[in-house]
Amino acid sequence: MKRISRSGSFDGLFFAAPAILGLFLFVAVPFGIAIVLSFTNLRMGSPLETRFVGWEQYLRVLGDEAFRRALFNNAVFALVVVPVQTALALGLALLLNRQLRGRVIFRTLFFMPVVFPMALVAVVWKLLLAPGSEGLVNGLLESLTLGAWTPRDFLRDPWLALPSIMVMSIWQGVGFQMVIMLAGRQGVPEQLYEAASVEGAGPWRQFLHVTLPQMKNTIFFVVVVTTILAFRLFDQVDILTKGGPRLATTTVMYETVRTTFAEARVARAAAMTVIFFLIVVVLAFLQRKLLREEREVS
Amino acid sequence: MKAFVPVRETNRTFLVGRLLLPAGAGLLFLLSACGQPERLAYDDEGRKRVEIWVHSGQVGERETIREQVEAFNEGQDAIRVTKTMIPEGDYNARVQAAALSGDLPDLLEFDGPFLYNYVWQGHLMPIDDLLSEEVRRDLLQSILEQGTYDGELYAVGVFDSGLGLYADRRGLEAVGARVPSGVDDAWSVEEFEAILAELFEASGGDPNLDLKVNYTGEWYCYAFSPILQSAGADLIDRETYATAEGVLNGPDAVRAMTHLQSWFQYGYVHPNIDDAAFVGREAVLSWSGHWDYDRYANALGEDLLVLPLPDFGEGSRTGQGSWTWGITRHAHHPEAAMRFLEFLLEPGEVLRMTEANGAVPARRAAIEQSGGFAEDGPLRLFVEQLETSAVPRPRTPAYPVITSVFESGFQDIRDGAEVKEVLDRMVRVIDQDIEDNRGYPRR
Repeated sequence: MKRISRSGSFDGLFFAAPAILGLFLFVAVPFGIAIVLSFTNLRMGSPLETRFVGWEQYLRVLGDEAFRRALFNNAVFALVVVPVQTALALGLALLLNRQLRGRVIFRTLFFMPVVFPMALVAVVWKLLLAPGSEGLVNGLLESLTLGAWTPRDFLRDPWLALPSIMVMSIWQGVGFQMVIMLAGRQGVPEQLYEAASVEGAGPWRQFLHVTLPQMKNTIFFVVVVTTILAFRLFDQVDILTKGGPRLATTTVMYETVRTTFAEARVARAAAMTVIFFLIVVVLAFLQRKLLREEREVS
Repeated sequence: MKAFVPVRETNRTFLVGRLLLPAGAGLLFLLSACGQPERLAYDDEGRKRVEIWVHSGQVGERETIREQVEAFNEGQDAIRVTKTMIPEGDYNARVQAAALSGDLPDLLEFDGPFLYNYVWQGHLMPIDDLLSEEVRRDLLQSILEQGTYDGELYAVGVFDSGLGLYADRRGLEAVGARVPSGVDDAWSVEEFEAILAELFEASGGDPNLDLKVNYTGEWYCYAFSPILQSAGADLIDRETYATAEGVLNGPDAVRAMTHLQSWFQYGYVHPNIDDAAFVGREAVLSWSGHWDYDRYANALGEDLLVLPLPDFGEGSRTGQGSWTWGITRHAHHPEAAMRFLEFLLEPGEVLRMTEANGAVPARRAAIEQSGGFAEDGPLRLFVEQLETSAVPRPRTPAYPVITSVFESGFQDIRDGAEVKEVLDRMVRVIDQDIEDNRGYPRR
């Protein structure tokens, strides 16, 4: 910050102005409104006057089983998807960085799901995950296990629904992270690997002592982005499960959208987003703190 | 803006009323202004513009309304109708969002039971003075009943609905099931379940019952609240419209929904992901509405039977009401919108639509001309049901909440939740909504 002010804060502010204005108008102002609305009883379209109801909405939301389950599901989803997807993206990036026959084809194939809209992917996966042996996934598992697999209704099984959504999300999202990782890997100077191999380091030690430390910032970036996407989980749930079976896949975003648009309870939804915002802020703060410290070590 | 004047309101109402809502509205206006130009009252050639929103139903319905709009536009020079198709899954959500941003069309098609809520919210205008007496006299009573709230007519439909149990004659004959001849000798729920069990055995454990669980939205309340009524329960206390307590969670309701749950638990219900369970002859029974008749008749021909829903004790009950047309308060030219609506209500046009979707024509003149609904016609049952066993959905502004909670409750029951607990939770949500809206006072 100090350096910026020395070299002329006006220029900086001038060039940042459109972005700041956008952030202010489309993030800060609506959120400020949401905070105030969360203390009212505003319902969309209601001709009754809006009144302040104090903490009522918060008490109701926190007492709501669906909301608590949604928070839990979001947490589970993030805890599983963030590490798995990051590791997978890194692995794919390293594989596809080698001199491989048909490398471009593989890169394209892995990146392709990212290009498709999530809604489309979700509809296709709904068919893939169809119950009974007509479902492709069930059929595949059946023939792979020589008939030992009994077909399951993945999206209506309380234990399989969320994992099914996780698998699909990872499949859809990993290509994007892979491309970032690939760029990060290509930014690592080749001399470092040459030096390492001269000193007798095998592939594993090269990975540990050259690739990982050099790619640290890229990996952190990917972790942060994946975490944000994990908390935004909505499309897949809306199309595949509608939050079911029995809340097993509901998420905060899904509950919020349903509360707003299906039930028109705007104030309640506002309270939900405020709670969610606070949680995400704390998480982002923690992540940032960790990241900062790591950077200082290097 | 006026200069600063001391305000008498309390700070709270001031904050909400004078600052926050305009700020929010301003923001929404800004957002909507970015996206699309303001609705115009006239087109380039000076014709009155009438925007309509239509639900995107079956292929035949979509085609028909497209042709009707074209025919109307070509048939006269004063009015230009433009239509927008909206998917039916979350139709109400779209209407709510459009109402908030002032984007409602002039003429709005919507699912009948939402009428009371839209009127309460002030989106619709009464059409008593716009609709000609000649058309009104010829409309089915059920259409007028659905369209009336607080003594005023707000909407009329081109057709009413028929809900029943389609059956594959071959499948039923294979297990020797009795074929009911009308509403009065519908299968009792015990008989129905015995048939399901036999079908299940005959097919070697494959599901035979299609409940259209691939649908989302209004379907669940429309199609399965009749089993509550058939068991002597209901969605809400229709005397007061003030509570669902004891009605939706009483012993009769629990009994009906427990029957329903058992069909899932025994594995009778076909997931029907591609909506082809019945036409593919995997399911023998399909719990569905008039809109499937055409498709089913094409696939099964002479083997298609149209039967009443099973009787849960108080006689077979079924749903009624369907998509209906209302003129919004945003309409630039209400009389032009009505001219198009009356065009849709001409007996020939009504028939054109009902031949495409199999629904019961809203006009008596059209019913008499139609083959399917005549005496001995294959769809006679739907007319008979409208006269005897059809139950309208609750006429209350709380209906959107009722149907939303019914849909999620249905899913929970399907997934094996304790029936009584689910119904209790549904009652709590409905009662809370009514309380939050101070009993939906009428103006």
